[in-house]
Amino acid sequence: MSKILVVDDEKHIRLLYAEELEEEGYDVALASDGTGIGECIEKESPDVVVLDIKMVNSNGLDILQEIRNTYYNLPVILCSAYGSYKVDIKSIAADAYVVKSSDLTELKKKISQVLEAKIPEPG
Amino acid sequence: MKAYEENPDGIKKADIVVGIPSYNEADLIAYPTQQAALGLKEYFGNMDSVIINCDNNSTDGTRDVFMNADTGAIPKMYISTPEGVKGKGNNFRNLFKKVVELEARAIVVVDADLKSITPRWIKNLGEPLFNDFGYVTPLYVRHKYDGTITNNIAYPFTRCLYGRRVRQPIGGDFGFSGRLAELYTRSKLWDEDVSLFGIDIWMTTVAMNEGIPICQTFMGRPKVHKPKDPASDLGPMFRQVVGTIFKLMDEYHEHWEKTRWSKPTAIFGFGLGEVEMPPPVTVTKEKLYEKFRKGFSTYWDIYKVIFSGESLQKIREIASLDMDRFEMPTAVWAKILFDFALCSKKQTVDIDKAIDALIPLYYGMTLSFVNKTEGMSIQQAEEFLEDMCQVFEETKPYLVDRWDQA
Repeated sequence: MSKILVVDDEKHIRLLYAEELEEEGYDVALASDGTGIGECIEKESPDVVVLDIKMVNSNGLDILQEIRNTYYNLPVILCSAYGSYKVDIKSIAADAYVVKSSDLTELKKKISQVLEAKIPEPG
Repeated sequence: MKAYEENPDGIKKADIVVGIPSYNEADLIAYPTQQAALGLKEYFGNMDSVIINCDNNSTDGTRDVFMNADTGAIPKMYISTPEGVKGKGNNFRNLFKKVVELEARAIVVVDADLKSITPRWIKNLGEPLFNDFGYVTPLYVRHKYDGTITNNIAYPFTRCLYGRRVRQPIGGDFGFSGRLAELYTRSKLWDEDVSLFGIDIWMTTVAMNEGIPICQTFMGRPKVHKPKDPASDLGPMFRQVVGTIFKLMDEYHEHWEKTRWSKPTAIFGFGLGEVEMPPPVTVTKEKLYEKFRKGFSTYWDIYKVIFSGESLQKIREIASLDMDRFEMPTAVWAKILFDFALCSKKQTVDIDKAIDALIPLYYGMTLSFVNKTEGMSIQQAEEFLEDMCQVFEETKPYLVDRWDQA
């Protein structure tokens, strides 16, 4: 079973994601901000991180850089209520970007895509 | 091909080399040369370095301007193809051989017509090569109408094929390791198109497929070089870039057929602060439309051979749109490119004729891109391009399903 780590400072969002993603058959871990993201990833060993951008105590784009410094191949999906962050050049380091919505169809599609993504080793 | 060489300082070894390929760039080459020297001095001052101008025997005095450019203590070398031998790729081949001979660990290449290069570009392209990366491509802001071959073909196509998101696969400014230079010199995949403008996409594709660690590096400043109207300045570059993409597809089909979706490429040099915006690029929509319409009639018989009935019907429908409503849906464009790639494999039409027939459709796609992004900022156009890439990836099974039957 694939594990999704949801990092979002809004409790109701975390709970919504947990409920819907668990229904899809994913194992879900939750974090309320990006502080100590390294330890959190070590502890949870997620297959995908769903990362909010605008959080009270941290900026998702900075957290993304922190993740990339150590876990280069770990898929990260940026998730924000603000589409404007999509055009921030730093978001290029994410695997995907989803504008937050109560309908999680797009997020689920992206999770499934990043889990399927495969680049074979050269022969 | 015997290269002509001038090495006034008798350089026999270098840790880092900056290469500047050129053909008739006397007006502009001094600036990137001086900036490269400042970059080498400031960021790689403890290493042996040299700047090499790899030229196509320019007749406008490029050699003299380069050799006389003030580079302080940084030595210079001039290498040229023999008289009559042109091609950017041929210049690179001379560079590959020379850097292998010099046992260089890192090579940075920058365009000779660059107006926005700073010493930091040398650091940004060179430093990752001393940090386990073997190939470095630039990340800079370009005007939405600059680099239309990149935006409409090279980036979405190579990304969907090989699964690597390299935003500027033919950016012209690169970094590569000495080991990769050696691999390039030994490669059997070299051909006529590669020796010309196919070189950039060839280098990127080979690096992607040979397991070379690749990164993209933020340059901070936009790429500002000799401006080109996408409607006017297509030239042979299109044929050579596209021809090289098609030929390499055949070589690496086992790899791309197994690749699904895409992944981001490592980023080096986050946090450069404010990103400067590039100057505008003019595009003449009327010319794009006229060239599309004219070519569409000329090559109709070739389209009938290359496309399925369904695609043919769709393209005919698109051709009936007037200029301001002109739109080429991305899925249709992706299938057009895939059908041409299949044609290149099957050789149902002579490849040169096929690429000639693709050019008007490319003009159509460029017009469609302009119409769609006209009111958008550069960043919004970038987001639009991201969506285009997603459609290419979703449409890829069309190609995979047909490739082995072709």
